[in-house]
Amino acid sequence: MSTVVSERATAGASAKTPRRVRRPGTKAAPYLFVLPALALFAVFKLYPIAWSFWLSLFRTDGALQSFAGTANYERLLRDPLFWTALRNTGVILVVQVPLMLAIAIGLAVAFGSALLRFRAFIRLGFFLPMVTGLVAYGVLFAVLLNPQSGLVNWFLGLAGIPAVPWLADTLWARIALGLALTWHYTGYNAVIFLSRLQALPRDHYDAAAVDGANAWKRFRHVTLPGLRPVVLLTLVMSTIGTLQLFDEPYVLTNGGPDNSTLTLGLYLYNNGFKFFDFGYASAIAYALAVIIGFLGIVQFRFLGDKS
Amino acid sequence: MAHLDRRRFLQLGALAAGSTVLTACGAGSTAAPAPVGPTGTAATGEITVWSWQGPAAMMKALVPDFTKEFPGIKVDVQDIGNPAIWDKITSGLAAGGQGLGDVLHIGVDYLPAYIEKFPGGLADLVPLGADKHKGKFAQGMWETVSRDGKVYALPWEANSAGFYYRADLFEKAGVDVEALRTWDEVIEAGIKLKEKTGVQLIGIDKPASVGDSAGFFQTLLQLQDSFYFDMQGNITLDTPQAITAMTIIKKLNDAGLVADTAGGWNAMISSIKKGAVAVQAMPTWFGGIIEETVPGEKGKWKVRLPPAVTPGGKVSATVNSTHLAVANTSKAKAAAFAFAEYVLTRPESQVKIYKEKGIAPALLAAYDDPVFHEESAFFSGQKKGEIFLDALKQPSYVTNYTADYSRALKAVTDAQSKVLLKGADPATVLKEAADLIAQQTGRTVLR
Repeated sequence: MSTVVSERATAGASAKTPRRVRRPGTKAAPYLFVLPALALFAVFKLYPIAWSFWLSLFRTDGALQSFAGTANYERLLRDPLFWTALRNTGVILVVQVPLMLAIAIGLAVAFGSALLRFRAFIRLGFFLPMVTGLVAYGVLFAVLLNPQSGLVNWFLGLAGIPAVPWLADTLWARIALGLALTWHYTGYNAVIFLSRLQALPRDHYDAAAVDGANAWKRFRHVTLPGLRPVVLLTLVMSTIGTLQLFDEPYVLTNGGPDNSTLTLGLYLYNNGFKFFDFGYASAIAYALAVIIGFLGIVQFRFLGDKS
Repeated sequence: MAHLDRRRFLQLGALAAGSTVLTACGAGSTAAPAPVGPTGTAATGEITVWSWQGPAAMMKALVPDFTKEFPGIKVDVQDIGNPAIWDKITSGLAAGGQGLGDVLHIGVDYLPAYIEKFPGGLADLVPLGADKHKGKFAQGMWETVSRDGKVYALPWEANSAGFYYRADLFEKAGVDVEALRTWDEVIEAGIKLKEKTGVQLIGIDKPASVGDSAGFFQTLLQLQDSFYFDMQGNITLDTPQAITAMTIIKKLNDAGLVADTAGGWNAMISSIKKGAVAVQAMPTWFGGIIEETVPGEKGKWKVRLPPAVTPGGKVSATVNSTHLAVANTSKAKAAAFAFAEYVLTRPESQVKIYKEKGIAPALLAAYDDPVFHEESAFFSGQKKGEIFLDALKQPSYVTNYTADYSRALKAVTDAQSKVLLKGADPATVLKEAADLIAQQTGRTVLR
């Protein structure tokens, strides 16, 4: 937005005044316009980020602080729960994210299809989970997945399948978490894919059709390559979102049973707000930032625009 | 990194919330401009009280009478909710006391952490005159609220371990519950009960889905004068007492006597409504909850003190307590203390609260009231108040929760989940838990 503003400001200025004469203050105007945003960014983003790094170098016991150097980071390496959280988060990343994005691409193609009726309604239906509040979402899944009285187990029972201990078993709790995440975010990603699909030039499809490509070949050779920039976008965003995952395990499983759904985000929260160990929580946050940065670079390398 | 922001955001949010409260108070003060100095006086000031559900409702009910006696003090009791209140107090203390209520209702499990980790966050009540109440409370209570000559809160509840049971079901099974001496005998009785009635003995949130599922385990520890930490703060989770306690839970579970109340409070309440379990091994205050939950089962329930863990062992334990503290940043500390005093040190207030919500006072004088000595129609004509009063008068073990209780609790509930869900060996999981706590806190494991 800031570039648009600055271009307009200079364009307007040069139209009215001779080229060589500049009115004082014209140059400052764009900076003045972005100043409020910059100030907010500094106060609410930069300051906490910097302060958190500072904190991560201290051993904090609530309000008591003593300089600890890299002790918090060394502690991370030896903390079995940190590794458990990292592993859990990694599993979700490797299993749930590709699955969700594949479903989202399928949905996007279906949303765009002329064969689909009530398109707006169905798109809305898939997007709506995205705006569902955290608590409503948690309560909804807790009710659906209740082992004794939940709707899901009731349906399974109709099919003769025994009740599944959704939130009480280490494996099933992970699956339940994956289901909840997929329900929540697939529609969101599908809408992003759809917007890209609608921007793809029709003549590529026409040319492919002339060359005798069938539907699958058109999808494989026209649609998928066309989607690549948004695949990168959604992949990077989903990766970041997954690594920071907090809401779902917090509401649904509390990280349990036996830490099987403990995520890095939840572990960070526990250390800060349950155990009052802000220094250690900050160290976790920075470890998380490094991991996200690393994965981001890798993804850009492999999927980024090569032109 | 958004989580950094979230954390800062929460802190800033607390600040914002605090200033809103202050502004709100300021706006309401136009009618009677009360001079509120930095310390305040007993007669004047505007105070905010933070509590949760039942206790908040009861304090609200006491406000009109309080205001008659202290017309210069304006009280706003807020139901923050439990467990939300702990995050809110933590954020407030972490922000240097900004935005905290003046009077804070704090559980014994959180109090040591607040005192140790946020020194100066809670006001020392001695200068305000707390010492004159020292002898008025049940044994051990004063130790739990004071440290190094300072008093950080006045005691409110003192909960003894209890054993609520469905007398009708046990009768059907031909079991005399009053005669059960140890938990091993309870397991035998439970097997009989299940055979005859199909009802399980007790409920536990097996996957620890909402955090605190260790209440029963703690009770079994406290009945043996033991806990997660000793008085020096060493980890005592690897002791024979702890292994015995966890083994009882394993035996109950292996015999199919433990119902899974995953989902926490709501699941437990619905298990009572459904009559899915016959025993609630819960503290004093829980009697009121049972009465509220299943009023139709009047006369079917009874209560006794829990059986001993080992033959001849203790049957009484003060398992938890709650307290009222004053924030050090309060602008009307004296007024805040006056309100806490009014609620906690006057028998009339405590009797009223007991009658409405069944919350057991730590204030011993309250027990002179006949309400504690009446026969309870709901509990089959038993004198429920006297049963718990006897327990309260017994020599009581002072539990050292320490500032690391919440870390320890997490490790313990995970260990318990392993025993209940995977049949793990109690000694092994407790050793792992003790080691984990040691690694995280730098404390020593006592072996």
